[in-house]
Amino acid sequence: MATELVADRTLDCTGMLCPVPIVKLSKAIKEIQPGQSILLLATDPGSQPDMQAWQRRTKNEVTVMKPEGKTFRFFIRRTA
Amino acid sequence: MSKLVDESAPTRVLYVQTHGADTPGRTATPFFLATAAAAMDMEAAIYFTMNGPTALKKGVPESLHIKSEGRGQVLRFFIDQAVDMGVKLYVCQPSLDLHDLCIDDLIDGVEMIGGAAFNQMAVEADAVVAF
Repeated sequence: MATELVADRTLDCTGMLCPVPIVKLSKAIKEIQPGQSILLLATDPGSQPDMQAWQRRTKNEVTVMKPEGKTFRFFIRRTA
Repeated sequence: MSKLVDESAPTRVLYVQTHGADTPGRTATPFFLATAAAAMDMEAAIYFTMNGPTALKKGVPESLHIKSEGRGQVLRFFIDQAVDMGVKLYVCQPSLDLHDLCIDDLIDGVEMIGGAAFNQMAVEADAVVAF
């Protein structure tokens, strides 16, 4: 599912550890418009549960995409 | 007693840090967690009591390595990251006195509050996490 999503921008958080990816995402989401999207790349093994928690809290839409090797990929759409 | 619930009010998390400069490995986690809470659009604050304020003494965060034997980031990095995300830092006066410190001895951006204010913050927070 959702393999062909195209994001408005990419946020490369590979090699960064918690809480840096969600800090960067929190800032980046405020720089885009509602409806626009971010592709977040991360290697932190905790990033998937973190993204899901972040989604529940902020109500933005997070789609977990197929990892590329050891890189987790998340498609995030700003909802409001 | 009924409580008015404001749906638009942000979720608040209050962290309580009792550990200080003598235990570097215990100093950074409250900053990590508060930073993460802020990134989730919560209001996050850290209250430093007991030994907590010793890690906030001017000059200390710059030289306090989180891992043993001078390895890892220094605490300053995590403080800056938290403050940049809007995390509020509070200390209590008696714990400053315990270490013969005054508020001017601490890094900028720390606010002094008393026990009553802390209790009020605690009951108004959605979660209080103590270290």
